[in-house]
Amino acid sequence: MAFQPSKSKKNHAKEEGSLNMNSMMDMMTIILLFLLKSFSTEGALVTPSQQLRLPVSDQELKPKKELTVSIAKDVLMVNDAVIMSVSDIEKNQMLIPSLADRLSDYAAQEHELEVDVGKEFTHEVIIEGDEKIPFELLFKVMFTCSKTEFYKMRLLTIRKG
Amino acid sequence: MAYKPSMRRKNEDEEMELDIRPVMNLMVVLIPLLIAGAEWVKLSVIEINVPPAKAADGSGVGDNKNDIKEKQKKLGLTIAISDAGITIGNAGVILSGESGEGPTVGKLEDGKYDYAKLREKLIDLKKKIVGKGFVDENRAVLTASADIEYQTIVTIMDNLQTYTDEESKQVLPLFPEVNFSKVLQ
Repeated sequence: MAFQPSKSKKNHAKEEGSLNMNSMMDMMTIILLFLLKSFSTEGALVTPSQQLRLPVSDQELKPKKELTVSIAKDVLMVNDAVIMSVSDIEKNQMLIPSLADRLSDYAAQEHELEVDVGKEFTHEVIIEGDEKIPFELLFKVMFTCSKTEFYKMRLLTIRKG
Repeated sequence: MAYKPSMRRKNEDEEMELDIRPVMNLMVVLIPLLIAGAEWVKLSVIEINVPPAKAADGSGVGDNKNDIKEKQKKLGLTIAISDAGITIGNAGVILSGESGEGPTVGKLEDGKYDYAKLREKLIDLKKKIVGKGFVDENRAVLTASADIEYQTIVTIMDNLQTYTDEESKQVLPLFPEVNFSKVLQ
């Protein structure tokens, strides 16, 4: 025979459970504050990849958005458009012709803008180099930049800490 | 006559719970938004201002474009990085290392460059020349062998920026104006 259902338990009112949200709210508030602090309106300046790992430094200077020349392990890019493969760079020539062409185009554009709408040509260029690239390559790129009117160079690095 | 106190005070205060659902909704929207916009890697830049003229082609230290410049005292500090180590010098002299030859600052035993010692030597040098009227007392010309890694150069530039004077506790510039010179052969 089955047990008789308990008569005393039947009368117990069902306890209504409610989720305690206080601690969750605390957590959310902290996360929100933390994220607000690290919020940047600049947007991503550089897309990190296996081929482009920036060197580490302890400089404090903040980067501004400018024309970027990226030297990855395999390719050379201007404003994220691939110019040429690193292996195609002439060994015995200081100037990199295709990079120089592209940079002169940008310089000409900037000059036009300066005349037409008064936007000042800053001559600034950001060089993003992979931490492993040899000095020779870096120097060639810097030489090419300075030859094409972009003589205010900024080396992009990752801040320590 | 004073008013008669209300008889309703016996009514139990109804417990009110704050309705936090709208706030939660807001959080749920805001947090993903902020995660997307967060700055995960802090970037910084090192400034290199090459004069618009032809200084970048490796003519290097003294680009004597006019006669006035020649009368000024030039230091022309050059820091050369090679596989063996780092050499400090200028057009006239080279700081010798401990053994009397080879680079000024050799490599450490594990094959890394000895940045601490380089810094020490440069601070010594800076203290000797500061205030002596050199026009380029903040300038250093950096040069390296062809295959030196970018990270090495950046680290050396870091070490060239500032130093703290022990007596006055001030942060003073070391050689923050870095120029590059042609690749060492």
